[in-house]
Amino acid sequence: MTRITPRLAALVVAAVVVTVAVSWVVGSALASRSEEDRPVALDPAEVAQTTLPDLAPAHGEPELDGLADAAPAAGAVGTVSGPFDDRYSFGRLRLDGAAVTGAVHITSDVSDLLELQVLAGFYDARGRLLATGRATHHLDEDSGHEAHAGPPSELERFRIAAPRRIADRVASAAVGVPVLVNE
Amino acid sequence: MRRPARSTSVVLALAVASSVIGTLGVANAEPRGSEKPKNNDIKNVIYLLGDGMGRTHVTAARERYYGADGELVMESLPAVGQVSTYAVEPMSGQPGAADFKPNYVTDSASAATAWSSGVKTYNAALGVDAKGKVVPTLMEYAKKAGLRTGNVSTAEITDATPAGQMSHALLRGCQGPTYSEAACQNTEITGSALPTSDVRVTPIADQIARNGTADVILGGGLARFDAEDEAALKKNGYTVLGSPASQTVATRGDLAAASSKKVFGLFNTGNLTIEKYKRENPSSVQAEEPSVAEMTKKAIALLSSGNKKGFYLQVEGALIDKRSHANDAAQTLEEMKAFDEAVRVARDFAKKDGHTLVIVTADHECAGFNIIEQGTFTNAEATVPPTNVDSGNTANNSTPTRTARGAKDPARSTGIVNGAGSADPNNFAPATFRTPDDPASVTDGSPEASLWLSYLSGNHTGADVPVFAYGKGSNKLADSIDNTDLFDIVGRALHLTK
Repeated sequence: MTRITPRLAALVVAAVVVTVAVSWVVGSALASRSEEDRPVALDPAEVAQTTLPDLAPAHGEPELDGLADAAPAAGAVGTVSGPFDDRYSFGRLRLDGAAVTGAVHITSDVSDLLELQVLAGFYDARGRLLATGRATHHLDEDSGHEAHAGPPSELERFRIAAPRRIADRVASAAVGVPVLVNE
Repeated sequence: MRRPARSTSVVLALAVASSVIGTLGVANAEPRGSEKPKNNDIKNVIYLLGDGMGRTHVTAARERYYGADGELVMESLPAVGQVSTYAVEPMSGQPGAADFKPNYVTDSASAATAWSSGVKTYNAALGVDAKGKVVPTLMEYAKKAGLRTGNVSTAEITDATPAGQMSHALLRGCQGPTYSEAACQNTEITGSALPTSDVRVTPIADQIARNGTADVILGGGLARFDAEDEAALKKNGYTVLGSPASQTVATRGDLAAASSKKVFGLFNTGNLTIEKYKRENPSSVQAEEPSVAEMTKKAIALLSSGNKKGFYLQVEGALIDKRSHANDAAQTLEEMKAFDEAVRVARDFAKKDGHTLVIVTADHECAGFNIIEQGTFTNAEATVPPTNVDSGNTANNSTPTRTARGAKDPARSTGIVNGAGSADPNNFAPATFRTPDDPASVTDGSPEASLWLSYLSGNHTGADVPVFAYGKGSNKLADSIDNTDLFDIVGRALHLTK
């Protein structure tokens, strides 16, 4: 039978303590090395991208390049191209005195029409652009989602009056869509 | 001689044992401390989002394509839970605050902000809380920490779900290409109009093109970007597939050839095309658009190549929601199948990689999609009144709200949407589909088809949505959680947040 002497017991305890300590240190060192590759928790205040230094701030409402030169024939309502021409069609365009009326039939997916802006140009008898006007649809999330009571609203009617100062000189108009967001 | 030898053996055995115990002690205390190739520490998160995908969407797609005894890929993931999705009203405080005002039905913007930034916000808000304060997104955290980042969607890339990770906007409609006051300003929140230099009223397309938050950007919505955006993208090191300046959409071939670390590719001027149309029109221009699975596979390849730090990729199957809004069950189910194939790509990568957490969930349920018994109808027109009047049982003796016998409405209840009656708007449901469980002679749209589907509405509902997950830490998702918890789970998995 093996007898454990006090000296042997002390030796065993010392060996255990030393080995555990060495193992812990080595393990921690390994852990530290692998942590070098890990991302660290970041300060939220430093994370969000809130500056866009290369971007000039917007000025005013959007324009359509073709409006200045559209020059529709007297009595006519022309159309000018915009970024979303493949998503809608105009209908019932009419010059009603010094106002242009019509409808935008949205042909892409419609569950909510979030944003729509129709931009109109008014021209004199020589085809010169006198002024512009806009009709804007904005879905207010708090206004009760009127579109949800029935089928999605795909047809948006509009009426855009010319400014009074040029009303008596309006001979034609042109319309286009610079803003359209639907889902 | 024997005694010392036995004593030495005891000492050596104890030393070896204590060494092992000591090492295990370190491993247990700091599981991230082991050498990465030898453990399953998470380096990557692939977060897949079926927009509008409720529990019934999953069940119906399973039965449609694999039969009652089959399963979708997402259903093969080991962790399963459910997620609450509610939003809050404008100017609300966070849950627990005195001014907390919940809105039980979220939109995609509020939901995206919840998992991207960990806060509740109002419907239409992106990357801001309900009082308009900018909140950082997980993708911004990941980018800042040196991970690679990717954002894939079948919607316009400026739409709410992808935009929730890489923009800050008071209104989701401020998508671009140009600013307008109605679309971008929200004076209910800010009191007065903000200067147009403020990021919160900067068109989302302008933000995406310049902030560099996502390295790989694949989806639709080219019409939101213009020549200046293309110049900004190229200046920031992106390979631009197609051209925003000329409005030339990218193609599947362009995507296949892409190999740089930063890629911007939009394959449609608007949302990508539904799979059903591409399948039925294989020679169309739209058929050149990649599927969500193809985009996911390529994004993973680009993000993982030569990458030691890891990546964070978000993938959205957006058209599930858009076709659910339209109560179009046939296209909804086909989009579900397409999305599930993207899940397959992610799962297969994760299994091979061993360091990837895959999460599959939804932002909200859409349209109250449901499976009804064959031959039944959808209105609240039960042929017999509810039988909950029982005077002998005090737990079940309330008066039913309707006591008269119902009647089947011949105009509204019996139509089969994807069958002969599909042109009649009165025939709103049910839609019927054959499944692998049906005899070969049964066709879609017939009364004999075994899968009968109906819709409750044309918009989002407040139902909880499912979550499926694979990888280390996925057990945290096998629970009832809130959508803001997803921020914490992903952030901690990638060691981005505390």
